[in-house]
Amino acid sequence: MLALVANRSVRPYLLLVIIAVALWIFDRGRGQFFTTATAFSVLQQFATIGPIALGLGLSMIIREFDLSVGGMLSLSGCIAVLTGAHYPALGVALAVLCGLVWGAFQGTMMVWLRLGSIGVTLGGLLTLGGLAYVVTGNLSISYPRMDVALAVNNPVLHVFSLRSLVALAAFLAAAFFMARTRAGRDVYATGSDRRAAMVAGVRTAAILPAVFACSGMLAALGGALLSYSLAAASGVALTDALVPATASAIIGGVSLTGGKGTPIGIVGGVLVLCLLSAGLNAIGTPPAVQDVVTGGVLLAVAIADAVDLDPRLFAMRRYWAEMFVRPAESVRSADTSAAE
Amino acid sequence: MAKKSGVNVTAAYTAEAVPLVARDAAADRDEPGGNVASAVAVRHLSKSFGPIAALKDVSLDIGSGEIRGICGENGAGKSTLVKILTGVYRPDAGNVLIGGAAVSVATPRQAQELGIAIVAQELSLCPDLSVEDNIWLGSLHVPFLHKRPDLRRRAAEALALLGAGHIDLDTPVTNLSMGERQLVEIARLLTRDARVLILDEPTATLTDIEIERIFAALLAVKREGRSVVYITHRLAEVYAICDRVSVLRNGELVTTTSLKGLDRSALIELMLGRPSDEMYPEEARARGAPALVVEGMSLPGIVNDFSMKVHRGEILCIAGQVGSGAAEIVAALAGLVHDAGGRVTVNGRPLKLGSSVRAAQRGIMFVSGDRAAEGVFRRLSVLQNLVATRLRDHSLLGFLRGGALRKAAAHLAARVGIDRRRLNARAEELSGGNQQKLAFGRSIERQAGAILLMNEPTRGIDVGARAEIYRLMRGFCEDGYALVMASSDLEEIVGVGDVVITLYRGRRIGHYRRSEVSMHRIVADITHPRETTP
Repeated sequence: MLALVANRSVRPYLLLVIIAVALWIFDRGRGQFFTTATAFSVLQQFATIGPIALGLGLSMIIREFDLSVGGMLSLSGCIAVLTGAHYPALGVALAVLCGLVWGAFQGTMMVWLRLGSIGVTLGGLLTLGGLAYVVTGNLSISYPRMDVALAVNNPVLHVFSLRSLVALAAFLAAAFFMARTRAGRDVYATGSDRRAAMVAGVRTAAILPAVFACSGMLAALGGALLSYSLAAASGVALTDALVPATASAIIGGVSLTGGKGTPIGIVGGVLVLCLLSAGLNAIGTPPAVQDVVTGGVLLAVAIADAVDLDPRLFAMRRYWAEMFVRPAESVRSADTSAAE
Repeated sequence: MAKKSGVNVTAAYTAEAVPLVARDAAADRDEPGGNVASAVAVRHLSKSFGPIAALKDVSLDIGSGEIRGICGENGAGKSTLVKILTGVYRPDAGNVLIGGAAVSVATPRQAQELGIAIVAQELSLCPDLSVEDNIWLGSLHVPFLHKRPDLRRRAAEALALLGAGHIDLDTPVTNLSMGERQLVEIARLLTRDARVLILDEPTATLTDIEIERIFAALLAVKREGRSVVYITHRLAEVYAICDRVSVLRNGELVTTTSLKGLDRSALIELMLGRPSDEMYPEEARARGAPALVVEGMSLPGIVNDFSMKVHRGEILCIAGQVGSGAAEIVAALAGLVHDAGGRVTVNGRPLKLGSSVRAAQRGIMFVSGDRAAEGVFRRLSVLQNLVATRLRDHSLLGFLRGGALRKAAAHLAARVGIDRRRLNARAEELSGGNQQKLAFGRSIERQAGAILLMNEPTRGIDVGARAEIYRLMRGFCEDGYALVMASSDLEEIVGVGDVVITLYRGRRIGHYRRSEVSMHRIVADITHPRETTP
C-alpha cells in the first residue's frame, strides 16, 4: 500500500478516489454530484487544461519550465479562428505549426545562448499574449462556423467530446513515447542529470528544442480547439490557464527537480483539479472556496514531495519534544536506548 | 596486508566471471596489420595552451590485455593525454594509433566508435534511470523502440563479467552504492565494445571492499584482452593492479617501467623529479590542555557511544572505511548532523551539537573533503574565499574596506602557500590541492584554542600538494590548534595522526598513540575488528 502511495503515477489516482468520495459525502445523497453532466464537465475542463499541463509537464521533466504555453494558448486560438473559417483543419494546422516553430525557437535559443528557460519563456508568454491582441486588433472575434463549434463539443458516449478525446489521444501518444522509445528515455536522462546524459552521448542539445516544440504544439492544439468550441477568440480570455496547468503537473507527480513524472500521472493530476472544480461547482460551493480547497490539495502534494521529508519530520518532533514536553537529556537517553 | 586479503577476493570474483559476447574477441583478431601487441599507441604527442606546454613529445604503447598505470602530479599532463585520447582535445602534433594504424579522434563520439572509453571521476549515470537504461544510454546501436530482450541480456552479461550480476537491471541508479555505480559505468563501456578503458581516479570515493571489486572487474576486463589505462594518485593501487606504469612530469614522459624492482619511494622520486623529502612532518612535540572532549556521542543508526579527547597541538585521526561513521562524527562536531546526541566540551565549556553557527562561534572550523559541495565558493575569487568568514573584522559601519580585505587576504594566502598573484582568480580555476589550501586559509582563526575538523582532507589531491597540506596541518598544531581528521586513507592515517582512533560500523575499536600505530593494526581494526578493545 505504501509503495502505491510512493509511486508518483499512482498517487494522483488515489487522490482522485479520495476526492470523489469526499464530494459524494458532502453531496449527502442529493444526487447533484454523481451525474453524467459532472463527468462531461470534468472532461471538458480536462480538454482545456490537459494539453497545456502535458506540455508544461514535459518541460518540467527535463528540468526546465515553459511559461510561454499560456501565451501560446491565446495566440493559437486567434490564429485558428482567423484562418480556419473555410477549412477548420487548416486553422488547427496553422496554429500547431506556429506552436512548433515558436517552441523550437525558444529551445534553440536556450541551447545556443545558454539561457535559462524561465527568462526566455516569460518573454515568450508576454510576446505571444501581446501578439494575440495585435492580430485580433484588441477585439473579441467570433468564429462563424457554429457547426464546427457544435461538432467539437457534442457529447460522444455521453461523457466525452471530440475535444476531450483529442486531448486523451495526445496523452496516450505521449505516454507511449516516454515509456517505450529511446528518445523518451533520453528526455528522462536529460532531466535527471543533464551533464551525465551529455557525457554518456545523449544529444541534449537536440532534446531541449524538441521538448519545447512539443510543448508549444500541445498548447496550440488545445488553444485552437478551445476557441472553436467557444466560437470566439480574443487576447484576453485564455492566459490564466498557466496556474492550473502547473498545479496539475505537480499533483500528477512531475518533480520540479526533473527526471520524474509520467504523462499518465499528469492525466491524473489534471483530473484531480477538474474534478475538484466541477464537483464543488455541482454541490454549490462558492468559487472562492474552490480556490482554497484546490490550493490546499496542491500544498499537501508539495509537502508529500519533499526530498527528505522523514528526517525533517523527525528533527521537528525532536525539537518540539525538547522545547516543550520534556527536558533535553531525557529525550536523548530515550532515543539512544530506542536505537539500541 | 590489505592487498594480500584482496587477492583472495579477486580470485573469487574472476572464477565466477562469464565471458562476454564472443563476437567482440573475433572482431579484435581480425584487426589488420601493425603492431599486434599494442592496442592503442600515441606517437610524439604535443599540446599547448597558449604559452604553456601541457604535453611535450609523448609516446606510449599500451598493449592488449595490459593494465597501465599513469602517474604524475597534478599538472603533469595526465588529463590532457586522456582528453586527446577521448577526442576532447586535438593534439598540436603527433598522432594516435589504434592497432598500429594512425586514426583521427576528433570528437568523443569518434572515440566511442574507435573503442576508446573513459570512466571519469564524475560518473555519467542518470540517477532516475534504471541500470539497464543507463547502460545503454547514449549508445549508437540502440533502436528507436529501445526495450529489447537482446539488449537486456547483453547488459546482464556485462554486469556478470564484472562480478556484479547481483545488481537488478530495473532498479534506479540512485539506489546503488558508489562502487556499484562505478561497475555499471564500466559495464556500459563494455557493451560499447570498448577496447581501451581509461579510468580516472576511480577509487577516490570507494571503500576498500568496493575497490577490491573494481580491481576484480578490471582483471576480468584484462583477461578479455582489453586494455586498461589506470590513472590514480594512490600509489598502493598502482602496485596492486598495474602491469606497468608510465610516469609523466611537466608534460613529458619520464619513463615507462615495469613495477618489479621499483619501490615506492623510487616511484615518488620519478614523479616529483627530486628525492622525496619528508612527506609527513614529524609528530607534535608537546601536548597542551584538552581542547575538545566528547563523551557518549551517538548518531542514530550510525554511531553508538563514541568518546574521545583531543589536546591542543595534536592531530587526532579517526580511521574508518566509508560508512563506518568517521566522517559523520566529524560532521556532527561541526554541527551538521541534526539528531546528534552526547556530551561535548570545548575548552572546558559544554557545547550543544546540531548547529553549525553555534559550533563556529566556539572556534570550531570544518574543512571538508568534498570541495565541490562543502568547500570553497567556486565562482568567487580567491580573495573573496579567503576573507569570507571575517568580513565583519574588515568593515566600517557595514561597508567593506577593500584595502584592508586585500591585505588580510594576501597575508592568509602567504600563510597557506597560495601565490598572491592569484588572488583575483576564481576558485574553480585552482587545482584541487590549491582549493583545499584555500579552505584551510579561510579557517584560520585568531581565537585561542580553536579546533579544526577535517574530513578526508586530501581526497583527490596529488602527492606534492598532499605533503604541503600535511605541513600546513602541522603548522596549525604548533599554533595551538587541536586537529581532528576523519580519513580512510591508510598511508595518511599512519603518517600524520598523533593519536589514531579506529572505527568499525560506528563502534570505536582501537586507540593508538603515534608510537604504537601500524598500518597492519589499523587495517585489522577497520576491516575485521577484534572482540576486545585495548
